[in-house]
Amino acid sequence: MAEVEVSPYNISVEVRAGETLLRAIVRSGYKYRYGCRRGGCGFCKVHLVLGEVGYERPIDARVLTDDEKVSGVCLSCRAVPLTNVVIELQEGDRLRGIPQSDGSSVPRRS
Amino acid sequence: MGKTSAVIRLGYVHLRVTDLEEARNHYSNTLGMEVVHEEPGKLWLKCWDEWDHHSLVLEEGGVGLVKLGYKVETDDDLATFENRAQTFGVTTGRFGAGENLKVGDGLRLTLPSEHTVELYTDIEFTGTETGSINPEAWPRNMRGVGTHWIDHALIAADDPGLVERFFQEVLDFKTAEKVVDSIEHPEVIGTWMTCGESPHDLACIKGPNNKLHHFAYHLEDWSSILRAGDIFSMDDVPIDIGPTRHGITRGTTIYFFDPSGNRNEVFAGLGYRVHQDFPTINWTVDQLAKGIFYHARELNDAFTSVFT
Repeated sequence: MAEVEVSPYNISVEVRAGETLLRAIVRSGYKYRYGCRRGGCGFCKVHLVLGEVGYERPIDARVLTDDEKVSGVCLSCRAVPLTNVVIELQEGDRLRGIPQSDGSSVPRRS
Repeated sequence: MGKTSAVIRLGYVHLRVTDLEEARNHYSNTLGMEVVHEEPGKLWLKCWDEWDHHSLVLEEGGVGLVKLGYKVETDDDLATFENRAQTFGVTTGRFGAGENLKVGDGLRLTLPSEHTVELYTDIEFTGTETGSINPEAWPRNMRGVGTHWIDHALIAADDPGLVERFFQEVLDFKTAEKVVDSIEHPEVIGTWMTCGESPHDLACIKGPNNKLHHFAYHLEDWSSILRAGDIFSMDDVPIDIGPTRHGITRGTTIYFFDPSGNRNEVFAGLGYRVHQDFPTINWTVDQLAKGIFYHARELNDAFTSVFT
């Protein structure tokens, strides 16, 4: 099972087999900027800092260009991690957490 | 007092999808449209309550809008629209019968916003599922949401005011509602326009040219909207917002996404009728959020940013 770490929040979540980065992060109680969740709008792009991802479904080349892929941009609603990965959110975005009963999981930048 | 438009309605939406089989499942099983024709890489569909041959064309490869088709009364009207469009200064062209399956010849326009709109008068009549002699209220074999018909589209434009002027001056559309910067400085941020009496047949908001915000299906009432939401949960359809009500048009709504990320809407409630003497309703941009989502009164991130 792969893990995705969201830098610089020091938060890692498990990604289930076949799950996308977005689905794993949202299932774990966090939110960030995303749109259609089906690969159409590109609103959920993140920076892939470490690791590898694959795409199991066709993606419109105008939504995620080859240049973006080469420069480490990934479409998080379609990207399935092939290894453990570290991602950074887009500039201006931030990770939001759903507070647990002990108040512990509000993400803090490390 | 405005003229009556010779444009009848939004007749077809031609859309790109990344995966045709996923799209077939969404539009046919989840929404309940019927596939009326297919060729490799392409599907033609209609809703049970529509009488023309099709209202949706899906083409595999990419996402977003290929074109919108509006049905017009007569060929003379097409000629008038062609002249006016040329005077307005947009690109026009003629297309032949059969270029669009079962559709006759017509006029192709490139809007000031770069969208392609086709006007046509003739498309094969195939009838509604319930027929036009002593019809039942709805078909018993209805699938999923059971959408009635494609109702309207919302497109994005760098200059929505120019698109509004085009539809008013060339196609005799009326503006039912608009969002302006302020009443004193009425720069158009969004416009809801009609060719008939429903609150909108085409809407346009500020955004990137040649992009689609959504196209919408008519449902009967608020309880149908709620039931549609239930079906979206059953079928794991991502919901953008809703069920809720729009301030603008007073329609009840859910925005959701197809499996390629194109936004769809289910829309119910004929909030009012746009008669010839209907006074345009103005919203100021500081009240945009209430105009769009009447209950939450906040726009979500995606509403003004997500287009295909």
